[in-house]
Amino acid sequence: MSLNFYRRVAFGLLPNEKPDKDPLNWAINQLDTIPDLLWPGTIPTEKDLRKKYGEWVYGDREVLRKKFKNDKHAYRKAKDELRIKTGERYYELNEHAIRHFQTKYSKQPVFERFWLFWGNHFAISEKDFLAEFSTGPYQREIIRPNMVKTFEEMVQSVTTSWCMIHHLDNSESFGPNSKKGMEWGETINENHARELLELHTVSPNAGYTQEDVIQLAYIMTGWAHKWDRKNLETGDIWFDQEMHQKGDKIVLGVKYKNDAKRELAKVIHDLATHPICIKFVSTKLCRHFITDEPTEEMINPVIEAWNKSNGSLIEIHKAVIKQAYKYNEITHKFHPPEIWLMQLSRMFDLNIPLSFEKMNYTFKSKPNNRQRQLSWILREIGHSPYRAKQPNGWSDLEVDWVSPELLLRRFWFASVELPMLVKSGNRSHGFILSCLKNNFEDHKNMASLIDNFRFGTSDYDLGQKYGVICNLPGVLKI
Amino acid sequence: MNCTRRNFLIGGSTTLFLSGYFPKISFASMQKKNLIIISLRGGMDGLTAVPVIGDKRLKKLRKKLILEDVLNLNSDFGLHPKLEIFHKLWQKNQAAFVHATNIPYTGRSHFDGQNLMETGAHIPYKEKTGWLGRGLLASNIIGKGLAISLPMPLLLRGVPQNNNFFPSPDFVETKLIDQIYNEFKGEHNELIKSTLDTIRQRPLSMQIATDSDDRKKLALEAAKQLKDQSGPRVAVFDLDGFDTHAAQGGVDGAHADELEEVNKIVTILHENLGQAFDNTLILTLTEFGRTIKQNGGYGTEHGYGSAILMAGGLLKKSQVYTDWPGLKKKELFEGRDLNSTIDSRAVYNSAMSVCFNQDPEFLRKEVFWGDEFPDLSQELFKI
Repeated sequence: MSLNFYRRVAFGLLPNEKPDKDPLNWAINQLDTIPDLLWPGTIPTEKDLRKKYGEWVYGDREVLRKKFKNDKHAYRKAKDELRIKTGERYYELNEHAIRHFQTKYSKQPVFERFWLFWGNHFAISEKDFLAEFSTGPYQREIIRPNMVKTFEEMVQSVTTSWCMIHHLDNSESFGPNSKKGMEWGETINENHARELLELHTVSPNAGYTQEDVIQLAYIMTGWAHKWDRKNLETGDIWFDQEMHQKGDKIVLGVKYKNDAKRELAKVIHDLATHPICIKFVSTKLCRHFITDEPTEEMINPVIEAWNKSNGSLIEIHKAVIKQAYKYNEITHKFHPPEIWLMQLSRMFDLNIPLSFEKMNYTFKSKPNNRQRQLSWILREIGHSPYRAKQPNGWSDLEVDWVSPELLLRRFWFASVELPMLVKSGNRSHGFILSCLKNNFEDHKNMASLIDNFRFGTSDYDLGQKYGVICNLPGVLKI
Repeated sequence: MNCTRRNFLIGGSTTLFLSGYFPKISFASMQKKNLIIISLRGGMDGLTAVPVIGDKRLKKLRKKLILEDVLNLNSDFGLHPKLEIFHKLWQKNQAAFVHATNIPYTGRSHFDGQNLMETGAHIPYKEKTGWLGRGLLASNIIGKGLAISLPMPLLLRGVPQNNNFFPSPDFVETKLIDQIYNEFKGEHNELIKSTLDTIRQRPLSMQIATDSDDRKKLALEAAKQLKDQSGPRVAVFDLDGFDTHAAQGGVDGAHADELEEVNKIVTILHENLGQAFDNTLILTLTEFGRTIKQNGGYGTEHGYGSAILMAGGLLKKSQVYTDWPGLKKKELFEGRDLNSTIDSRAVYNSAMSVCFNQDPEFLRKEVFWGDEFPDLSQELFKI
């Protein structure tokens, strides 16, 4: 088995990590349990960060805008101070550090790859202040614990999470015949219902109609944040009977009797176990780990494992890995920028992320450049993980990631930025050669391409070497 | 039109010109013509951008989204106050609007809709290339597309060697690329290899670092490239954030902020294209309009008919070109959305035919599979 399997299903091998005798078992054995988060710094809870979110929006919207309505400059200054105080500038950076520390050092890197996958399948796109405060903890607290449960349980958790409900406006969706809907003349907001069908479960392949979307939106009415004057939209999710559409609903030909909050669990059960959903999600999994256009032959064993285990994600993940192993030598897969960065960080032991001591924050001034560095790099290489532009998340297709500018950004990172992330003990040519040997069969050919610079250890020399190595076809792709 | 005719055209034979496809062949028409598309992702609300002031129903249905200080276009239509450059150009016959128009897609999904607005097809995700890319390819215009975004938009795919511009923070030595170029072997590396070709061929000014956060600078560089006779002929800007389900607002709301961005880009293009603006068409593109009625969050839902904002010297005249369907309940699509009475692909096909000096019938067949829609070149553009 080629060494590239460690990059296909994980992030390559750290300098002191050795390939396993049985790579398939090595990978499969990583999927039964949830590895602890290793970050030694602070890991705030979703609820704490939501509280910060509330302080920020309340402070801005309800206090500062009123206080400084005639003084634009004073307003701007006060707002900047509030950003610092509430961590609006900081928490996303900390989340990126937690995430990249995990993918770099985890003893179960294969599990971490699936974590990235599901975070992107149930994507929270860039909206309001979700990236600043909530998407990171959502991926830690909603996505991660569900990865050893069933797909259905995952969908249930995601659909009733504050983050997803806020992201897709379900708190603004009122049953038109509900008490509040009638009183206030309000109606549904279809957004969440549509994405639950289209992106999270059955996909348009199920042939649902506009009426199905409306009916599902009816079922979902009432699942909303608790609103109050102080916390505004950041209160916990509950089921508000007074917003809920009364009457029976029909989605994809199945009738759901008027049953208040219990309707949602029933419809999610049917959607998450729908054969078209199983095929859609299995295809996405194979696309992520095997190749952009997976064949039926590749996908079918995953579907079988899904059916046999009643949607156990552990079993589904194992089936995907078996297929990735089986097709490793004959398929190619392009890696999007963030995964590429994680792999470089692990293979070459880069200073990513910053140490937790240096990530410490006092909430008294703007985060410094070093603290911002990782997040800035992610943005510049085109893949800031919590900032996908649409709720369908980041693409998993090569064509979406290959453009002159996106490739140039990789050359930029590897030749300009990366040398500054090389640890002081790792600047020798020998170190690079040993990392190449640890991760690539054709390390000799790779080494020959940088041989001209073998005596150089300056940032410039390292930039010339890494600029070449990191962008070779066998590194951009497997 | 058959293949021979096409090759004829590429060969530059003069006999074709006598056959009557191009009424005016002069030096001016041999000048490079630019086509600029601004993608407005999320569903642009045509009724906010170009409100139908002649219909009282709009105000009734959108009590919290009422626009004040609407700029006047004509007795029926106004213009959002943030779109002032369009108003200025309107006075000079250099701005126009197509209203109650959309791609032939009535589902209400962003992802399907955006896929179709770019592919121009009927079934989402079926086509892997964009109508603009295919139009360029059919017109044998290679390596002349410029995208002002980090990823290469689907719209431009289908023709090789497009460029995109969204500069990195530091200068990148392209000799690094030369060093590894030959390592890219085999079919599975072809896409990367051809993209590296494009990088190696780009003009020096594009290699110099600037700040990609600054839309002004990006539009400025795009204008510079487009102005160059040997530069790109097509540019694609990408804006998102039009999906205003909540707090859409009126003059200063979320939708207005997005329109302001469009205004900014067009203003810079107009200022910096100089004379080349006379040989330019700027058109917006979106996946669908928004519901007539405001929703629970004082926003609007995904709808159907929208509008195309147009600017440039190749417009025939200032006009709101529309076959207005009306806002009565029975006139609305599914009783809720502004209907679409003009297949927006007719507008884009006509624009391509004007800018690429190509027969519209030929493009309709090559790019849009011969789908039935009229040629609007005469009505909308200078030909």
